[in-house]
Amino acid sequence: MKILIVEDEIELLDSMASYLKNEDFICEKAATFFEAEDKLISFNYDIILLDITLPDGSGIDLLKLIKEKSPTTGVLIVSAKNSLDDKLTGLDLGADDYITKPFHLAELNSRVNSLIRRQKFDGSEIITFNEIQINPSSKSVTVNDKPIILTKKEYNLLLYFITNKNKVLTKESIAEHLWGDDIEMSDSYDFIYTHMGNLRKKIKKLGAPDYLKTMYGLGYKFAE
Amino acid sequence: MQLNEKIARTYLILSILIFALSGVMLYFVLTSVMNNRLDQQLLYVKEVIAKRIKYDYDIPLFEEPEELTEIENRVYPRDTMIYKDTLIFHAIEGVEGAEEYEKYRQLTAYETLQGQRYKLITRNSLVRNQDFILIITLSTVIIILLLLTGLWVLNIQIAKNIWKPFYMNLDRLKTFSIQDQNPIELEPSNVEEFKELNRSIKNLTLKLHSDFNNLKEFSENASHEMQTPLAIMQSKIELLLQSAKLTKVQSEQLQSIYQAGQRLSKLNKTLLLLAKVENQQFSSKEEVSLKTIIEKQLENYEDFIINKNIKVNTDLSDKTISTNTVLAETLISNLFSNAIKHNIQDGTIDITYIRDILIFSNTGNILQQDPQNLFNRFKKASTRKDSLGLGLAIVKKICDVNDWQISYSNEKNMHQISILFKT
Repeated sequence: MKILIVEDEIELLDSMASYLKNEDFICEKAATFFEAEDKLISFNYDIILLDITLPDGSGIDLLKLIKEKSPTTGVLIVSAKNSLDDKLTGLDLGADDYITKPFHLAELNSRVNSLIRRQKFDGSEIITFNEIQINPSSKSVTVNDKPIILTKKEYNLLLYFITNKNKVLTKESIAEHLWGDDIEMSDSYDFIYTHMGNLRKKIKKLGAPDYLKTMYGLGYKFAE
Repeated sequence: MQLNEKIARTYLILSILIFALSGVMLYFVLTSVMNNRLDQQLLYVKEVIAKRIKYDYDIPLFEEPEELTEIENRVYPRDTMIYKDTLIFHAIEGVEGAEEYEKYRQLTAYETLQGQRYKLITRNSLVRNQDFILIITLSTVIIILLLLTGLWVLNIQIAKNIWKPFYMNLDRLKTFSIQDQNPIELEPSNVEEFKELNRSIKNLTLKLHSDFNNLKEFSENASHEMQTPLAIMQSKIELLLQSAKLTKVQSEQLQSIYQAGQRLSKLNKTLLLLAKVENQQFSSKEEVSLKTIIEKQLENYEDFIINKNIKVNTDLSDKTISTNTVLAETLISNLFSNAIKHNIQDGTIDITYIRDILIFSNTGNILQQDPQNLFNRFKKASTRKDSLGLGLAIVKKICDVNDWQISYSNEKNMHQISILFKT
């Protein structure tokens, strides 16, 4: 998978690239409108992460160029502006998703993955992690080929973990993923713990090892 | 008291004083002139009588002549004339048995005529003089009454024509809102003072608007500019967390930094949202079903509701409202968050949406603050770390930009927030 990240803040650009690189993605970086235009004309990308406000041009114009050249490329707009107008213009012009700064890298990764699934496999791809299999189109999960019944939150949690496997996920990032970013309740961390416990039990019951690891109260990690 | 009324009253008091004073003066001047004339007449009559005595003519007598007393002779040994006012008791003409005192001007003269002492009394009625006083008083009162009506009519006219633009402008000023971007429209007037006032108001409101806009832009830009550094901070910490070599102490410190950054970022996001609602950036409107939004949010908040074992009762009509979807969702979400956060274990939340009124009531501890402050920014009841104290401020702001009425009340120990959607 080839990803082009267009972002004028070099530090943020590096962070995004470095997080996504570990996920078997080939990441290319462009910090200016000119650079991005150059790369878009010369190469093909599966996914483009696009900042709307660039010093030498608007990401909206780049979006038009992308959609003309290769309509199947997935575009995820990354913007500091979360104004509705921007969001609507972006999505109207063919952007596939929208994420606002500041965001969690795990959330970005999860969005990119879901975009790839939608773009490339019509959502029919089966996500596999050892004995665990997730079918995103039917939202069903099997462990050792045996189906397990998960609640909506448990399912989202598992998918989020497997998409970001081997990464430390902070409680804040998980809470935002599960409940949306306008929930500001400290209780939510306790619920993560509860959901996590239930999920862990259900998976272990079907003979899988405990992949969920607690990281000193910082967060959790799904790893072998 | 109105200004023109006050001026009119001053005029009135002054004119009453002047009229009263001039009435009194007029009375004294007139009486003295009249007395003078009467005295001359009396003198003339006396002279005629004296002449008649001198030349032995007949004198028509009203009373029987009397001898002069010893005392009189002693007091007035020489010829003397005494003018004075006197009361005479006599019958009223034409009325049987009725008698009264009447005022007379009287001249008493002691004179020696043909070697004999005489006392000559001549009188003239003063009734006419008293009539004068009456006429003067009456005319003064009539003039004052006329003046009063004149002033009153004038006042009405003045209020109608000259003050009308002033009062119209006053009404417009009362409804002036800084949120409203249209410059204030003032009724023109041809009075120099009012023109000056209008100019000053216009300048003042223009300055208010520009200052307000600057401030709004500033707060939005400031929040906006903070997003990127916050994003960098957050992403760098998240990358650092992936490093396997962190010790327990290091990761604890990192966690503190991360959480502080999160709080800052959340605060910033909320302030930005507040600024955007204020700047009317959510202007697109569609038909929104409150019922759908509430049911969706209820599902989203399920964990929090179950955790506190809260009983939720809903009674929702299907009626839609015309507003912005994002704003409606934010409104409901904040109301939920508020009702859950400040609820008690095993509490209840009642949500009703009937006839354009949405009511969220919840059980909870007694309000520690003035309900007036409830919708102000950063007025939080508790020192809870997870509460920014902005939730209800956002709710209020959303109601304000949509012209909805929001109020808080306490009914049967339930905190109740009601929103009236204007149709």
